[in-house]
Amino acid sequence: MRWRNPVFFGLLFTLTLIAAASEGPGISVRDAWVRETPPGMTMMAGYMALRNNTSRPQVLVAAGSSGFETVMIHRTIVKDGMAGMAHASQIELIPNASLIFAPGGYHLMLTNPKRTLRAGDRVDINLEFRGGLVLPVAFEVRK
Amino acid sequence: MMATVALAAMLAGAWLAASDRENDSRARLLPDRVMTLFPDPKPLTAFALTDHQNRVFDLSRLKGKWSLLFFGFTHCPDICPTTLAVLARARDHIAKSTGGAEDVQFVFISVDPNRDTASRLRQYVDYFDTTFLGVTGNDAQIGNLARQLGAAYQVAFTPGIENYPVYHTATVFLVDPRGRYHAIFTPPFDAETISRRFKVLRELEGG
Repeated sequence: MRWRNPVFFGLLFTLTLIAAASEGPGISVRDAWVRETPPGMTMMAGYMALRNNTSRPQVLVAAGSSGFETVMIHRTIVKDGMAGMAHASQIELIPNASLIFAPGGYHLMLTNPKRTLRAGDRVDINLEFRGGLVLPVAFEVRK
Repeated sequence: MMATVALAAMLAGAWLAASDRENDSRARLLPDRVMTLFPDPKPLTAFALTDHQNRVFDLSRLKGKWSLLFFGFTHCPDICPTTLAVLARARDHIAKSTGGAEDVQFVFISVDPNRDTASRLRQYVDYFDTTFLGVTGNDAQIGNLARQLGAAYQVAFTPGIENYPVYHTATVFLVDPRGRYHAIFTPPFDAETISRRFKVLRELEGG
C-alpha cells in the first residue's frame, strides 16, 4: 500500500474519529467516559450512551477490561432514603432505543485500576452481549 | 355553583398572596425540588468528630459559618464524586458573589471510618476543593450528628470482603452560622441552582 494512497489516509482518519465511540453490528456507544478520581482511589465509575439500532432486544451481560481488576454493571438506587448501589447482572436494551449510563444512575463500577488514570487518558473496556458479541469501547478519562 | 367555586378560589388566592407578602420574603424560597427550608430551624446539640487534619470537629466548628454537609465514603464511585464535584462548582459560584465564600464551609462526613482514615480523607477532599473538610469518627459519633440531621446510613461491613456495600442519605444538609439545622438540598444537584438558592437565603438571614 503506497503511503500517499488517499484511501489509506481516509481509513486512518476515520479510525481516529471513532476513538471515543464504538460500533458493533447494530449496537453503538457514544460519549464513553470515566470520571477522574482523587489519587489513590480504587473505585471509579464509567458512563456512556448505549444504543440498540436493531429490531431485537440486546442484552448486556458483562463487562471487562485489562485496565481494571473487575468491571461490574451497577445502578445507583435509593432505598429507605439512602443511596446505594445495586448490581445488575444483565441489562436489556430495547430495540431502536438508547440506554444512558450517567451519574446518579447506571454506571460501570471499575475496581482497582492497573495504572493511575488522569484526565485525557483512554482506557478500553469490553462490553459483552448475550449471543457472543464483544464490543471494545475506548473510554475517555475526564475530570 | 361554578361561579361560587371560582370566586372562592380567587379570594383564597388573594388571601394567600397577601399573607405571603406579610410573612416577609422567605416566601421567595418556597419548597421546591432543589431546596427545602425549615420554618423553625432546630439548634444542633453537642457532637464530636475528627477532621482530615486530626482536629476536633464539634458543634463549635459549625458556628460562625454556613455549613453544607454531605455524608458518604471515599470508595463510592458514583454519587460521592459527582456530588462533591457539583459542590466544588457551587462554591466557585458563591465565591464570585459579593458575599464571597469566606463564611461558607463544605464538610464531607465519611460513614466508613474503617477505610477512611484522616490521611485518606485529606487526599480525597483536597482533590475536589482545597477548602473542603473531611470528617469522620466512630459509629456512635457519626450516628449522633446523622440522627440530628435525619440522615441515615448503613455500612454492610463483612470481614474478608474488600468492597462492602455502604448506603447513605444523598441529601446535602445546610446548617446556619448559629449552628441551627436550616435547610436541605435534594438530588439531583446543580451547582448554579444550589448557589443561587443559598445566596438568597444568606441575604435574607443577614449573613
